[in-house]
Amino acid sequence: MLFLYIIVPLLLAGLLPLLGKLSKRLLPDLLASAAMLFLLVLTVIGARPLISGGGVIQQATWFQAPLNIRLLLDGFSLLMLFTIALVSFVVCVYSIGYMEHYGAKANYYALLLVMIAGMNGLVLSGDLFTIYVFLEMAAVASYALVAFGRGPDELEAAFKYLMLSAVASAFVLLSIAVLFAVTGGVGFGAVAQGLKTLNVRTLVGICSALFLAGFGLKAALVPFHSWLPDAHPSAPAPISAMLSGVLIKVSGVYAMTRVFLGVFGLTPALTTVLTVLGVVSIFVGALAAIGQNDIKRMLAYSSISQIGYVVLGIGIGTPLGILGGLFHLFNHALFKSLLFLNAGAVEQSTGTRSLDKMGGLAKVMPVTAVTSVVGSLSIAGVPPLNGFWSKLLIIIALVQAKMLTLAVLAVLGSVITLWYYLVLQHQAFFGKLNEAWKSVREAPFWMSAATVVLALLCVAVGLAFPFVVGTWLQPAADALGQGVNVALNFIGF
Amino acid sequence: MHLFLLIGLVAFSAVAILCRELLKSAISLAVASIFLALLLFEMGAVYAGVFELSVVAGLITVLFITAIALTRGDGDVAEGRAQRWVFPLFFLALAVVDVLVMRRLLGRIPAIQGSESGGFSQVLWNQRTFDLVGQVGVISAGVLAVLALFRREGGHGKGEGHE
Repeated sequence: MLFLYIIVPLLLAGLLPLLGKLSKRLLPDLLASAAMLFLLVLTVIGARPLISGGGVIQQATWFQAPLNIRLLLDGFSLLMLFTIALVSFVVCVYSIGYMEHYGAKANYYALLLVMIAGMNGLVLSGDLFTIYVFLEMAAVASYALVAFGRGPDELEAAFKYLMLSAVASAFVLLSIAVLFAVTGGVGFGAVAQGLKTLNVRTLVGICSALFLAGFGLKAALVPFHSWLPDAHPSAPAPISAMLSGVLIKVSGVYAMTRVFLGVFGLTPALTTVLTVLGVVSIFVGALAAIGQNDIKRMLAYSSISQIGYVVLGIGIGTPLGILGGLFHLFNHALFKSLLFLNAGAVEQSTGTRSLDKMGGLAKVMPVTAVTSVVGSLSIAGVPPLNGFWSKLLIIIALVQAKMLTLAVLAVLGSVITLWYYLVLQHQAFFGKLNEAWKSVREAPFWMSAATVVLALLCVAVGLAFPFVVGTWLQPAADALGQGVNVALNFIGF
Repeated sequence: MHLFLLIGLVAFSAVAILCRELLKSAISLAVASIFLALLLFEMGAVYAGVFELSVVAGLITVLFITAIALTRGDGDVAEGRAQRWVFPLFFLALAVVDVLVMRRLLGRIPAIQGSESGGFSQVLWNQRTFDLVGQVGVISAGVLAVLALFRREGGHGKGEGHE
């Protein structure tokens, strides 16, 4: 069953360029959204019950014939599958309206589906080299999606993204090669067991540094963040939402967390590095966001800042810290996707991304304005919205771990976030309506519907956070809390 | 022999980075790939050597040279003065670290052999099937990227919309 997460989007991606010849819009729109809805339902109904007794290994089958493919599912991978499916479905719905003016919808959805298959493969893998392969699969599709508009900005951003991503991949591959040379395997279990037996601290330190640089580049963690403020704003809005909402988390945070907590085991030195990088990212991203006039660029810098919170929470290493970090990861996928989709709606209606030229848009785009306010308040951590609870958990975890300075800095970072999001809301949606926008209309139905769904989710997750934590997040935090024991249980995987 | 091939590989890789003409840079990279392929042959990794020689030294070089010929730009890459020194300094530092640290470190580590051994086809089909699916995905992404970026129908004019 788990193989469906990879094979359904991959097969559909192969078929779409052909089906696109028959129907340029309807079939691509319908099939891509239906596939994502199917994977979302599969996660809720099919995959979640599988982890009731902890992690499982499932052998893939093809028309009931067993394949030599074994997929690892535990609470952490399930949370990621759910996040990917949820955001992907909403993005597909939004794309029905947004991608009309780009053309080549079949090719667009095909690339999007390959990216999704790559991310799903990555989170279901129990092997370092397979992680690398699927990382590349998602990355190659994402370069093309960033450049999809084929304008000078898009091409330049995609090229920059490709170059830095290639450097990241080289770091990751080098580290995997060293681990293979030393332990004789690349499976999580084999590497964890080998490192435990050999007791090679210096080598683990070198590999950790290489993974940190590689996955840090993918996650856009400061100081590896320089590609993101160009790549994310240049992409079409739904792709910006996918990149900021899920891709940097899957290929950066998920992979880094899986390796550091699940294979190497979190050491005090790693805790220090991760928490410091987390706090530095919070501030560098937030301070850089303040000065931005381009709405999507501001959101991109904000992503760097919020990824800092996720890494900070996970880096603490305590059960509550990990829970808070994962909760913020999930929440950020919701509100950052929402904010990028809103920015796309504004850009499509007004033709500008410059905040200076906006103003008063709430009068002509009420749905976009309301959902944008919800997203902004959520990301700033205003109660009772979802972002408040995840930030609160991280701050409590910092206090419990006696990291009081970091706790104060995390609160301060949240205040700065609130400040620049209020500025964004004020400049874009409130005040006097600019004369030029009097004829502007609300975004098309499917685009508005997608943003409303995400805004409602931000509110619902905030109000029902004990349920969400118990259902999706606690199993993920428990899986990570077991450290290398999960990998050691899967020796020979 | 190994040492000679390794020195050739490193030297031509460095020339590929330092060279300021794209065409010469691409050719240096191809020569470095040939050295790598020979090294792989020497060490018994025949399949890897064939792939390296055919795909990287052959196909990729042809693509690079075609792209350079099609763009018709002047070959010089404009660089700041500081940038010219970054790579040689980085290269030198890496070589020092390699000589001082890595050699001693790797000598201390008893490598575990053989948990992923077997012939090429056996490893690929029986042990790394999941990677094969991933590779299909990577190739599909490349093909779809070409289809999407070189599509014929008009774009959307986003470039004009940007401020």
